[in-house]
Amino acid sequence: MRPQRTPLQRTIGRTCLTIVLSLLALIFLFPFYWLFVSAFKTQAQIFTVPPDWLPHPATVRNFVDLYRETDLPRALLNSVVISGGHVLLSLFLCSLAGYAFAKFPQAPGHSKLFAFVLGTMMIPGAVTLIPTFLVMVKLHWINTYWAMIIPGAAGAFGIFWMRQYIGANVPDDLIHAARIDGCGEFGIYWRIVLPIAKPALAALGIMQLISSWNNLMWAFIVLRTRDMLTLPVVIYLLQGEMRTPYGMLMAGGLLTALPLVLAFLLFQKQFISGITAGAIKQ
Amino acid sequence: MSAPVLPRTPRQRLRSEMWRHRHFYLFISPFFLLFAVFGLYPLLFSLYLSFVKWDGMTAMQWVGWANFLSMLDDEILRRAVENTLLIGMLYVPPMLILAFLFAQALNAQWLKLRALYRAAFFLPCVTPMAVIAVVFGLIFSAEKGVLNFVLLQLNRALPFLHLQPIPWLTNESWSKVAVAILVIWRWTGYNMILMLAGLQGIPADYYEAAMVDGANGFQRMRHITLPLMRPTFRFCGLLSLLGTIYMFDEIFVLTSGGPGTSSTNVGLYLFNISFNDFRFGYASCVGYTIATFVFIGTLILQRRNRREEGSV
Repeated sequence: MRPQRTPLQRTIGRTCLTIVLSLLALIFLFPFYWLFVSAFKTQAQIFTVPPDWLPHPATVRNFVDLYRETDLPRALLNSVVISGGHVLLSLFLCSLAGYAFAKFPQAPGHSKLFAFVLGTMMIPGAVTLIPTFLVMVKLHWINTYWAMIIPGAAGAFGIFWMRQYIGANVPDDLIHAARIDGCGEFGIYWRIVLPIAKPALAALGIMQLISSWNNLMWAFIVLRTRDMLTLPVVIYLLQGEMRTPYGMLMAGGLLTALPLVLAFLLFQKQFISGITAGAIKQ
Repeated sequence: MSAPVLPRTPRQRLRSEMWRHRHFYLFISPFFLLFAVFGLYPLLFSLYLSFVKWDGMTAMQWVGWANFLSMLDDEILRRAVENTLLIGMLYVPPMLILAFLFAQALNAQWLKLRALYRAAFFLPCVTPMAVIAVVFGLIFSAEKGVLNFVLLQLNRALPFLHLQPIPWLTNESWSKVAVAILVIWRWTGYNMILMLAGLQGIPADYYEAAMVDGANGFQRMRHITLPLMRPTFRFCGLLSLLGTIYMFDEIFVLTSGGPGTSSTNVGLYLFNISFNDFRFGYASCVGYTIATFVFIGTLILQRRNRREEGSV
């Protein structure tokens, strides 16, 4: 057995560890810093060697150019409508199905249907990509919000997540009492289950918001005209074949990333609990 | 309401039970409706497409197993699979080790500002790849990138290391490393959260008992933490492997799979043959084949895990 460490040794060890950890945290945050400062630099400043760690002088030209040369407000509107619609619809459908799976265990076929829902998580999107695109063509949903909002709106993970929370937190007695008082089944869901499930809804909402806001591939496939593009696609398309306006790109990138970073910082706890729950299911 | 008085046959009883629970079926029906249109139908149609030649415009042409046979001679597909494995091998081990160390540090009660560190390491997971990959493009730039600038400064300070500027995005080998670095940056925090949950699941009395027996930190790590974390490591590893196969945004934006096809993985290759070449039949065939292999592989891994965990 090794002798116990003295308090001094322990303090030194902990200090070293804290320093290493802080350095690593700074390295992880550096790309955000670089995004932020580059947004306020001119094209020439962005490419100076040695690099300018701070923009001097700082310029807002990039934001002005971005506003002039791209339809930024429209892209922002598209992103907000698509993400907002997707989040609201999936919260509604997932909590409704989650409530059903949590509180109607005696319904014939209940467990088989639930196993089926979970099983659909095994299907990789890469296999269904082309036919889903063809379905969009048939429905005339190409270049519409519907193509972005509807297909993933009742995801198996969301249903699982809501079922776990509702099953554990909504007392059966409360539901029975409401039923005896003559409350309809949808009324029970709307007036009793939903208010109790608010924390789970917040967590699922932030998860859906992030995946929907960041969605690049599907948006790239189904959105066609300039006036329908979302922010990430606009940012991606700013990269030209010959000359890329990096300052504008960074300014647009900053505006695209900022809402999510803020949403994450506000709902950090809920989001992280969602990830952990996703893992425990396995 | 006219409820049937006494159901006689099992079938009638089932029917009345189902009627009694009609809201259950109503509430879960949106999922099944959406799944039928955007999941099941595509899944079946994709299987059919695997046996045809089709560009999406002209008439479909039944080709039987020809698509499967052409996969055998598909040089780019072979490279895409190789690249996927190489990129996976490059980033998964360092990422999981880093994630474990971060989780271990964040699990220490003495560490101050833990929420701040957690946010710093996790923030990459929530940012749009379309944005951040462009920032990494700047950082990786050969002549004017920050990373090569730092390498040059290091070389000046420590000449014996013989550090040189690295052609991150223009060299066939380094492009994979660049992708790996981006993926490590992006996904370490996610794995850290999973590892943290795993660490917090280890009962504290195990450690207390070990301390009473005089085990030092190293022994506690070796005989308690690591064995009990094995399922978490396996789970994270499996998720990362699946992620590497189907990864898209990271590679699409950072390197577009290049230079040449040196950083094209399976996911990007599938996208390219689908939506650049419009080889819908062949792309479905490749997608199905890969998914089948992945599915079988996942089942074997999970079965093995379960068996091993059962015997511990």
